[in-house]
Amino acid sequence: MLSLELSRISVSYPGLLSPVLDIPSLAIAAGSRIAVTGASGSGKSTLVSILTGLERCAAGGSIRWGDADIAGMSERGRDRWRGAHIGLIMQDFHLFPGLSAVDNILLPARLSRAMKPGDPDRALMLLYAVGLCRADQKIETMSRGEMQRVAIARALLRKPGVLIADEPTASLDSESGDAVARLLIDLSVSNESTLIVVSHDPRLTGQLDRRITLSAGRVASDRAHREKAA
Amino acid sequence: MTRFILADLRRLWAGSLVIVLLIAFATALGVAVTLQERALRLGSARAADRFDLVVGAPGSETQLLLSSVFLQPSPLPLMPGNVLGKLAADPRVAWAAPVGFGDSFSGYPIVGTSTALTTNLSALKEGRVFSKAGEAVIGAGVTLPLGYEVKPTHGLAALGGETHTELAYRITGRMAATGTSWDRAILVPIQSVWNLHGMGGHADEHDHAAEAHHAEDPGHEDHAGGHGHGHVDPDAPLDENWTAEAPGLPAILVKPKTIADAYKLRQDYRGNGTLAVFPGEVLTNLYATLGDAKRVLSAVAVGAQILVAAAVLMVTVMHIGQRRRQIGALRAFGAPQSAVLAIVWLELFILIALGILFGFAIGYGAAMMLSAMFSGESGIVLPVGFIRDDLKSVAAIVLFSAMLALAPALLAYRQSPAAALRA
Repeated sequence: MLSLELSRISVSYPGLLSPVLDIPSLAIAAGSRIAVTGASGSGKSTLVSILTGLERCAAGGSIRWGDADIAGMSERGRDRWRGAHIGLIMQDFHLFPGLSAVDNILLPARLSRAMKPGDPDRALMLLYAVGLCRADQKIETMSRGEMQRVAIARALLRKPGVLIADEPTASLDSESGDAVARLLIDLSVSNESTLIVVSHDPRLTGQLDRRITLSAGRVASDRAHREKAA
Repeated sequence: MTRFILADLRRLWAGSLVIVLLIAFATALGVAVTLQERALRLGSARAADRFDLVVGAPGSETQLLLSSVFLQPSPLPLMPGNVLGKLAADPRVAWAAPVGFGDSFSGYPIVGTSTALTTNLSALKEGRVFSKAGEAVIGAGVTLPLGYEVKPTHGLAALGGETHTELAYRITGRMAATGTSWDRAILVPIQSVWNLHGMGGHADEHDHAAEAHHAEDPGHEDHAGGHGHGHVDPDAPLDENWTAEAPGLPAILVKPKTIADAYKLRQDYRGNGTLAVFPGEVLTNLYATLGDAKRVLSAVAVGAQILVAAAVLMVTVMHIGQRRRQIGALRAFGAPQSAVLAIVWLELFILIALGILFGFAIGYGAAMMLSAMFSGESGIVLPVGFIRDDLKSVAAIVLFSAMLALAPALLAYRQSPAAALRA
């Protein structure tokens, strides 16, 4: 479970006058469940890239997860840190065809040479937890809802301190979307992960503790959203 | 990682197969050219190796070599018959055998010679050496049974030669394989060839009608009525006491006693109506021409390989472009840059290595097939084989392709995962 402190975050692209993301400071408590919303182009994806260390912010900014400031890390260091601490779930899954469900779950750990002896068992356990039982089913034969559940299991394999989901329900029908939303929240609780969800889906964002709304790269509103939890 | 790469290659099997085949054929082209040229060089050198010195009438050295050693049918000028007697009596000569051509039987050349050759060229595998005018010994590659009666055709049957009816040779022996053109020859006593063509040396008319093979006979125009066929008694005993009256001869194969003798003999028999050549030396000149041809073929092969390398590189760079998102996702899930580099590099390198492997197999097979076809026609065994130096070229090719495969891998390595995911 990791807390987050952002300060002086600014991301600009050459040719654009104003920065696509400009956040002077933002703090998220460890274990909280945050929704990030905003119109398209408001900087949500850039924020995900910054939080996961996929993208660098301008010099002077800091991205402090727990004790680690990933803004100062090397590319290799950020890759390693991300693999160990962040579980990432994306709108279009990014599962790898040709591999089975369980192989997909284990792939990032294998590629990072970070496999632990218990990981295959944990992968099966997670697969069961997201409601799937055919571990060796090829990924391309699954429905979209099932794929997103495999993606959730993959994100949780290495017990990440943070779970970040980028539009996890946007490409699913409402029934699968509900299931995925429920799984995300339940599993982040049981795995003691901080949860950050970028989403337009009110059924998902409505169940989270706090909602940050971005507009033109800035935080437009930030309020607690307690009434629905319970 | 292995599982991921295999799954990836399986998923893209059609494109992968095309790349492997492209590389295989480009490699095979180069391999086949190299192997075939080497086989031709080695095979002809080995075939000529058994003949130390060839003496013939002045003319083309290459033609003399091709006709006497490789038994290519072609008109050779004749030298005086007394040369044979002189050579046979020369103390520096281990053995000297006359060669007279002109007839054939179902595609096999019939070569008139003496027992000196049939006993010295190679051991007999079965039967015995000819001892009468009407007997013959066949090379290992002639598919006729012992005891078979061979009716010689004048010239080549394919060219409309007439059949000699005066004489049929009975096959009495078969030689062991020599890997030379002589494996396809039917060897008969040269007296019979002379007699059959109306040139019966000391026995018959002394007209020296040098007509053994439609040669333009220098100066001997006194031969009336086409080629008069003499009578040949198949049971006549052999007379190998070569006298000064022996008819003209196209070539004599000579085995000198020592290397020094060989050089002296060559010197002595150049000029005065004869031409002595070392087959090896003539071959070396031929190889120079062959080498030029090989250089052209190699250039074509290298050109094809460069084109294929460029095509493969282009395809992979485009492929990396299409896989940007997948590679970005790998990075996003925590795969280190080195893993991405290794995956892209390995995938391409596996394909290239497979292509090279198949290419060598195909090239080897093609060279074997060509050699077998050539051997069937000429009797010369062309040994197709790799040599130690080939390992070096394989290593060079593999190293080069490893570097080539690094280009798209570096492209993937440097790609920003955030930008790739946005694409």
